[in-house]
Amino acid sequence: MNIDDYKELKKGGMMRQKEAGRFSVRLHIVGGDLSAEQLRAICDAAEKFGRGTVHLTARQGVEIPNVPTESLAAVKEFLGTTGVGVGVCGPTVRTVTACQGCRVCPSGVIDAPELALAVDREFYGQPVPHKFKVGISGCANNCLKAEENDIGIKGWIEPRWGGKACTFCGICAAVCPSKAIEVSPDQAVVSVSLAGCIGCGDCIESCPTRAMGEGNRGYRLYAGGKFGRVPLLGRKILRILCSPEEVMAAVRSVIEFYRAEGRSRERFGDTLMRTGFPALDSRITERIAESS
Amino acid sequence: MIPTLDITKDVCPMTFVKVKMGLAKIPPAGKLNVLLAEDALKNVISSLKQEGHRVSGVSRQESAFLIVVEKEGERP
Repeated sequence: MNIDDYKELKKGGMMRQKEAGRFSVRLHIVGGDLSAEQLRAICDAAEKFGRGTVHLTARQGVEIPNVPTESLAAVKEFLGTTGVGVGVCGPTVRTVTACQGCRVCPSGVIDAPELALAVDREFYGQPVPHKFKVGISGCANNCLKAEENDIGIKGWIEPRWGGKACTFCGICAAVCPSKAIEVSPDQAVVSVSLAGCIGCGDCIESCPTRAMGEGNRGYRLYAGGKFGRVPLLGRKILRILCSPEEVMAAVRSVIEFYRAEGRSRERFGDTLMRTGFPALDSRITERIAESS
Repeated sequence: MIPTLDITKDVCPMTFVKVKMGLAKIPPAGKLNVLLAEDALKNVISSLKQEGHRVSGVSRQESAFLIVVEKEGERP
């Protein structure tokens, strides 16, 4: 191996294979989005430098396996012309995953790809105590599994009942998947338990008279999730955030908290198990208040 | 007499397809009763609202719901 090959390896994103002298080259992809031109370039690179195959990873990533050591710099240069960078590994902020969000999906509440790009721009590859993953689901359907990430973000709609137009038909309570709505026609009241609400907005969409309207709409954050050998589900943190700026301030302060409190090679969820979630919540709330 | 459409045994997307077919047979501003299961409520009602129709009545029928759909448009 010459000195240039060694330098390339040290930068990360080249996964050593079982077969000596071969690497799986991890690519930098955000929210699973690639242009057709980039896809073509990846195919060409796989044929030119690998063995003509591409691997789709569990988190919307792409790797080109079977690249020999001496081609690592060349594959990077080849793909670089189309804007596809090489990925990262080690104790860093990893691939930001996202669904297609509100610009494509009829269920979408937030612009997940746009937010993924913002998180990626500021944090991708940045050093943290251990690997750190961010996943963004555009709505409560949660296709991107927010709770499996160190930070998970979900689009969220909170209902607000306005009595006037209500006929107490009971549809909102019938469609609520978490049974958080109680209809009392005798008292002419519909009560929504926001603690039990999962933010799907089904009650709003199904209400025949629009008596069930939108309250807060925005971003719900989860912290401390992971998969791997010992999975942990992330827990809901903070109130509903209302703008991408607030979300970015929150992500910034979560990462700052992790850098300050996390031990080397300790996943964020395990850090939170030691410190408790209230410590994180109060730190972020301070930072968001400062930023707005 | 308002025609009644029973879609309690159908699943998405046939539930809404049948409602659309039912609405195609009635004049603008006409009414259609739809008997549907709880599972179909959200998709059927939200699709109806999106297409400009109105749900003007709801009643519970044992394990199903009966909704009165008012087709969009002006009475001819």
